[in-house]
Amino acid sequence: MRQFSSKLPAGIRHLFRLPPSRERLLHDMDEEMRIHVAMRAAELRAGGMSEADALVEAQRRFGCADDFYDHAKRRASQRARKHRVLEWLDEWQQDLRFATRQFRKNAAFTTLAVLTLALGIGANTAIFTVVHRLLLDPLPYRDGNRIVLLTVQDADGGPSPVSSGAVSVWRMRAHSFEMIAGVSVDGIAVQDRAEQDTIPAYITSNYLSVLGIRPVIGRNLTIADERGENGNVAMITYGLWQRVYGGRPSAIGERANAAEGKSYTIVGVTPPEMGIPMTFDQPRPDKLHEATPSIWVPASLDSIGAGGEVFGLLRPGVSAAQASAEMQSIVDSVRVSVAGGLVARPASCCARALRAQDLVEPREARAIEVLFVAVGVLLLIACANVANLLMSRAWARRREFAVRMALGAGRGRLARLVLTESLLLALAGGLLGIAIAWETLRVIIALRPPALANLADIHLESTVLLWSTGVSIATGILFGAGPALLAGARSIGDVLRNETRASSGDNFSRRMRSGLIVAEIALSLVLLVGAGLLVRSFVTLLDTPLGFDPHNLIAADILLPPPRIMPREEKPAVERAILERVRAIPGITDAAIGTMPGAPYHEFGSFETDVASDGQSRSVPTLGVVFMTPSYFRVTQMSLRQGRLPDSTRWQQPLSMTDPAAPPIEVVINQTLAHRLWPNGRALGATFGSTGRGRRRSFTIVGVVNDVRMPGTSGDQPTVYQMPLAIEVPLVARFHGSSRGLAETLRKTILATDSRTIPRAFTFGDDYVNDALAPTRFAMALLATFALVALVLSAVGLYGSISYSVGQRTREIGVRVALGADARAITGLVVGDGLRLAAAGALIGGIGATVATRTLTTMLYGVTASDPLTFAAIVVLVVGIALLAAYVPARRASRIDPTEALRAD
Amino acid sequence: MARDTSDLLHGTLDLLVLKALSWQPMHGFGLTKWIEERTRNELEIVDSALYKALHRLEDNGAISSEWGISDNNRRAKYYSITTRGKQLLRAEVATWKRYVAAVSGVIENA
Repeated sequence: MRQFSSKLPAGIRHLFRLPPSRERLLHDMDEEMRIHVAMRAAELRAGGMSEADALVEAQRRFGCADDFYDHAKRRASQRARKHRVLEWLDEWQQDLRFATRQFRKNAAFTTLAVLTLALGIGANTAIFTVVHRLLLDPLPYRDGNRIVLLTVQDADGGPSPVSSGAVSVWRMRAHSFEMIAGVSVDGIAVQDRAEQDTIPAYITSNYLSVLGIRPVIGRNLTIADERGENGNVAMITYGLWQRVYGGRPSAIGERANAAEGKSYTIVGVTPPEMGIPMTFDQPRPDKLHEATPSIWVPASLDSIGAGGEVFGLLRPGVSAAQASAEMQSIVDSVRVSVAGGLVARPASCCARALRAQDLVEPREARAIEVLFVAVGVLLLIACANVANLLMSRAWARRREFAVRMALGAGRGRLARLVLTESLLLALAGGLLGIAIAWETLRVIIALRPPALANLADIHLESTVLLWSTGVSIATGILFGAGPALLAGARSIGDVLRNETRASSGDNFSRRMRSGLIVAEIALSLVLLVGAGLLVRSFVTLLDTPLGFDPHNLIAADILLPPPRIMPREEKPAVERAILERVRAIPGITDAAIGTMPGAPYHEFGSFETDVASDGQSRSVPTLGVVFMTPSYFRVTQMSLRQGRLPDSTRWQQPLSMTDPAAPPIEVVINQTLAHRLWPNGRALGATFGSTGRGRRRSFTIVGVVNDVRMPGTSGDQPTVYQMPLAIEVPLVARFHGSSRGLAETLRKTILATDSRTIPRAFTFGDDYVNDALAPTRFAMALLATFALVALVLSAVGLYGSISYSVGQRTREIGVRVALGADARAITGLVVGDGLRLAAAGALIGGIGATVATRTLTTMLYGVTASDPLTFAAIVVLVVGIALLAAYVPARRASRIDPTEALRAD
Repeated sequence: MARDTSDLLHGTLDLLVLKALSWQPMHGFGLTKWIEERTRNELEIVDSALYKALHRLEDNGAISSEWGISDNNRRAKYYSITTRGKQLLRAEVATWKRYVAAVSGVIENA
C-alpha cells in the first residue's frame, strides 16, 4: 500500500496554491534520481551482484547524469517562469472576481459610480465625435491633408488675387507640389433641360486628381479638353446627373445645353464629394435651388487666372510652410529677372493648409470648442465624484485591507486590487457611456446646427471609440489613484489600533475628499455661469425686436444674365415687371426689391462725410449697401425713424452711380451709421461720398431706418439703403396663408416673366432667423444640459460626502447630544461643514468663471461675459443646492440617539 | 539483446508510460520494472529517458506527482495519470494501432 506523506510543508504549499520554487524543483529531481539509482542497485544486489558493481551498473543504466542535470535545470527554470505568469494572472483573476463580488454586494454604490462615469464619458464621446468630424479632420478627400490653397497677400496684408503669371512660374519651377489645379465659378448661369439654374465652374483637367476623386461614370477631363481640341465638353455633378438625367449611364455623350447658345457634351459625372474646398457649400434641404456649380467646364490654369482659386497638392513629406517659402522665393527671383513685369508684386505668398474646420462658421467652431472643454470639465467632475465614493469606501474597508496586509498581501497588491476595481468601474461606465453618446449624438443632430447639416451621417467612428476607451482607462487610473494611495498609505498597526475608536477619518483622506468636493463645486459653477450667460443671451435674443418681421416673409435672389443676353437698358423694366407679376400672385400681399434684412449684401469701400454738422468730416471704413424699392420697409416691417423714402423716380436711372454729373443719390441709412457719423442726430440732409480714386459717388441722406438685430448677421453694421441698380434682383415678399409650394410658384412666375432670369436661393424668414440663432441655441442647449448634469453630480458628491462624515461622527455627535446640544445645533454643525465647502467652491469657481467665460464673448448677445446678475444667480443656485445636499444628512444627524451612538462599535 | 532506445519515438515512450500509469500510480523505478517485464526486456530503456518522459508528461498535465512511501519503506515520488492523461492515452493508442496496421500491411504484403 502506498501511504502519502503527512509532512506539512508540501501540503501547506499545495493548500495555498503556492508554486514550488526553482530550487525546490531541482532538489526534487535530484532526489528522485538518487532514489532510483539506489533502488536499482538494491535490486541488482538482491540478484547477487557485489555492492560496488551494483552501484556502477545502476548508474550506467540510468544514463548520463550530467545530461539529466541539464534537463532538470532547464525544466525547473521553465516551470518557475510559467508559474510566475500564471500566478500573476491568477491573482488578477482573483482581484476581478473579488471586485465584481464587491460591486454586486454594493449595488447602490456601483450604480451611482457607473452612471456618473457613463454620463461623463458619454458626453465626451458625443462631443468628441463632432469635434473629430468638424475640427480635427482634414478635408474630406483622400489626401485632404496635402491639399493647400495658394494665396498671396498685398503689402497691406490683405488678400490679393493670384495672378496667372505667378501660378505659371510656380507650376514651372516649384518642387513642393505634385500638382497645381485651379477652379473658378463665374456668375454666368446656364440653364439645363429641366429649366433649373445651374452654375458652371471652370476647372483644370487635374482638378479631380488633386481632390483624389474619380468620375462616377465616363472619363475625367484632359489637357486636350482644356485646349478645346475635343470641342465643348464638360463634366456634370452627381446631383445634376440624378436630377436631370435620371442617373442614366447614357447621359454620357448627351448635350448639356447652356445659356448664351453654348452647349457641352457630357463626358463624365463627378462623384458626390466633388466641390470647391474653400466655398464648399453643399445644398441644404431647407433652401430650394441653392446655386452651386453643376457643370464643370475644362479650362487652362492660365485662363482661370485671377478670378479663381488655385489649389496645390503637396508632395508627400513637404509641409505647407516649406511650400510657402518656395513659392515666395520663386516669385522674388522672377521679380528680379523680369524687373516688375510679369508678376503683380505680391508681398507674401502662402500655401495655406485646409482643414474641414475651414468649412465651419467661426461661431459654430467656437461653440463646439467650448462644448468640448465643457464635457472635459464634466468628466473631471464625474471622476472626482467617483474618486470620492471610492475613497469613502476605502476608508470603510480599512479593516479589510489591514487584515489582508497582516496576512501578507503587499501594498502593491492592495493598490492593484483598488486599481482593478476602478478600471472595472470605468469600463462599465465607458460601455454605458457609448450608449449615452449615441443618444446624445441623435439630440445634437436633431438640434442641427448649420455646420452639422452636412453631416447627417455622423456616427460613432472607430477613432472615437478608441478615444472613449482611452478616456475610460484614463479616468479609471485618475479616480483609482486616490483610493489606491489611501490603501497603500495606511499601516496595519494604525488601523487595527484605531479600529475600536473610529473617529472622523484620518486627515489625509478627509482633506482629499474635501478638496475633491470643492473642486467639483468650483467646476460646476464655471459651467453653470457659462450656460447661464448663453441662456440669458438666447432669451435676450428672443426678446429683442429683430427690427423686422420674419414671419410670412420670403426672399429670393434673381440673377440677371450678362448684357449680351439682356441689354442694360432692359433691366429696370424686367425688374419692375417681375415685381408686378409677383405682387399679383394670390397669397402674396406685398413685394419689394431688397434682401432679407441683415443678409450679406454688397460692401462699398471707405466713405467719408462731406462736412458733418459739427464741422468735421468723418470716415467709415466700409458700408453695407442694400438695393431696394421704397416698399421694402413696408414689406419687411422695418420702420423709418426719421425723414422720408428715396424718390422712386430715380429708379429709372441705373447709370447714375457712374455719372459724375448726376445729382446725389438719395439714400436711407440705418441708426448705427447715423449715430456713428452724426452723433448729435442731424443726419437728415447730410451728404457723404466715397473716398475712392477717380470719380466720387455722392449720397444725400433722406431718411433713417431702424437697425436689424440678428446674431451673426450684418444687420447692425453701418448700412445704406438705396434704389436698385438693376444688376441683380434681390426680392422679398410678404405672404399670408401656407408657405407650401410658394417658392415653386414664385420661381415659375419669375421665369414666366422673363425666361432669361435665374431665380434662386429662396429663403423663408422664419428659417433664416432660425439658422441665425442655431449656433447659439446649439451651444446653449448642450452647455445648459452639461452644466445641470455637473450640478447634480456635485450635489450628489457633496451629499455623499456629508452623509459619510455624519456616519463617521455618529459617536461624536452622540456625545454632543448627550451633553445637551439640541437638534438645531447639530443640524447647524453639519450644514456648516457643507456650507464651508460650498463657499470655498463658489469662490474658486467664481474666479475661474470670470476667466473662462471670456471665451464665450463672440456667442453672447446683450450680456457681457462678466454679467453680475448671472454670476450672482448661479452662486446662489449652487450654494442653495449645496445647502440642500447637506441638509438631508444633517437632519439625520440631529435625530441621532446618544445612547445608541455611544453603544455603537 | 536490448536495443538502444534513443531512436525510440518520444511518442512511444509516452504511450508506454501512460499505459502503465493507467493501471495504478507508480514511482519511477516501479515504472521501469513494469515496462521491462511487459516488454520482456526487449526494450532496454535508459532510465533517465523515462524520467524525462515523466517530467514532460507532468508539465503537460497528463500525469501528476506526489511524494510517498514505497512498499519497502523508502521515500519515492509517485506518478498518477490525470483525466487529461487518460484522454491522451486513448488518442495515442488509436494512433499507434493505425500506425502498426499500416506498417504491418506494407511488410506482409510486399
